[in-house]
Amino acid sequence: MIRRLILALALVLAATAPAAAHRLKLFATVEDGVITGYAFFIGGGRPQGAEIVIRDAAGREAHRTTTDAEGGFAWRPPAPGDFTVTVDARDGHVATAAIGPTRFAAIPTPAAPAPASPESPANSGAPANSGAPANSGAAAIEQAVDRAVARQIRPLLEACDAAEGRIRFNDVVGGIGMIVGLGGMALWFAGRRGKRR
Amino acid sequence: MAHIPDGVLSLPVAAAGWAGAVAMAGVALRRLEEERIPETAILAAVFFTVSLVAVPVGPSSVHLLLSALMGLMIGPLVTVAVMVGLALQLLLFGFGGLTSFGVNTVNIALPGVVAALVLAGPVARAAPGRAALLAGIAGAVSVLATGGGVALALALSSGDYVPSARVVVVTYLPLAAAEALVTGFAIGFLKRVKPDALMGATP
Repeated sequence: MIRRLILALALVLAATAPAAAHRLKLFATVEDGVITGYAFFIGGGRPQGAEIVIRDAAGREAHRTTTDAEGGFAWRPPAPGDFTVTVDARDGHVATAAIGPTRFAAIPTPAAPAPASPESPANSGAPANSGAPANSGAAAIEQAVDRAVARQIRPLLEACDAAEGRIRFNDVVGGIGMIVGLGGMALWFAGRRGKRR
Repeated sequence: MAHIPDGVLSLPVAAAGWAGAVAMAGVALRRLEEERIPETAILAAVFFTVSLVAVPVGPSSVHLLLSALMGLMIGPLVTVAVMVGLALQLLLFGFGGLTSFGVNTVNIALPGVVAALVLAGPVARAAPGRAALLAGIAGAVSVLATGGGVALALALSSGDYVPSARVVVVTYLPLAAAEALVTGFAIGFLKRVKPDALMGATP
């Protein structure tokens, strides 16, 4: 009787909260040259005040901060490059995400030809050469496209990250079925051993 | 918190965890009695599912472990139940990691085994109310022991991810209180309606 009760309890637990779970994950993307994102627990909850450490390609610590009330963070690196973002809830939960240099590609290219004042071509008193206005026009378009694409694909990336770790009801039921099968196998072996004796 | 992911523990710590887990499972399986198999399987299923009910607390998120409850019901077999539950959580949900599997098993199962060795007898002899109280204490202490084990494993591996005292106090104390309540009520209930489900009752 009690076993059936416990089994019922397990099934109720599985049925009521199939989504809530227990693993820290990190979503990180680049928007306008800013590394931004948030940490989250699969199935619910954002860690508040968890430590965020951003390291560069050489493994040196480039930036350290804590997550806000929504689990979010943002940091503008001085130059594009390979970065690794690590979130640490300080109790054994750790997650990392990597940001490659290609994610920054569109922003620095316009900055390269006109390093003096890349963002205000209209205000620059002395145009360096005749090609500058056309260049900055193309750069502005490129930046706008980049921003629009980043805005559009962000939900997609978020959905990807969330789907990767989502708890599916099938998995829960499958796991319970697996345990039942293992128990049955153990009983069968035990029964066979008993018969031989 | 008890599911340490891959890549955090150093090799000696992970290897020691594996060795400890295998040794504990070996001892448990050697004493496996046929009558305890269904109970072990059901508790493994409960342990497997209970981690899905997690509550966000500040910078972290916690869930019940039930190691003391399992220990008081099936004794050393708690290692087997935890191993099966953790393996399925790893395969199906991606909780924890393969290298840290041994350490996670020991951290969760060992407090349950110790609770069984120390308290199974007294709980079996006590009246339901007193048994519930003892079980509640065992539940709280086993959560704190698991937390201590996690902290120790991380500290031995490297200084990078050592749990901070503030986070541990904020997350583990409420969890210990909740675990004490659940374990106490469950054991008190079992004591009243089915006392032979407890480990010390059928020696």
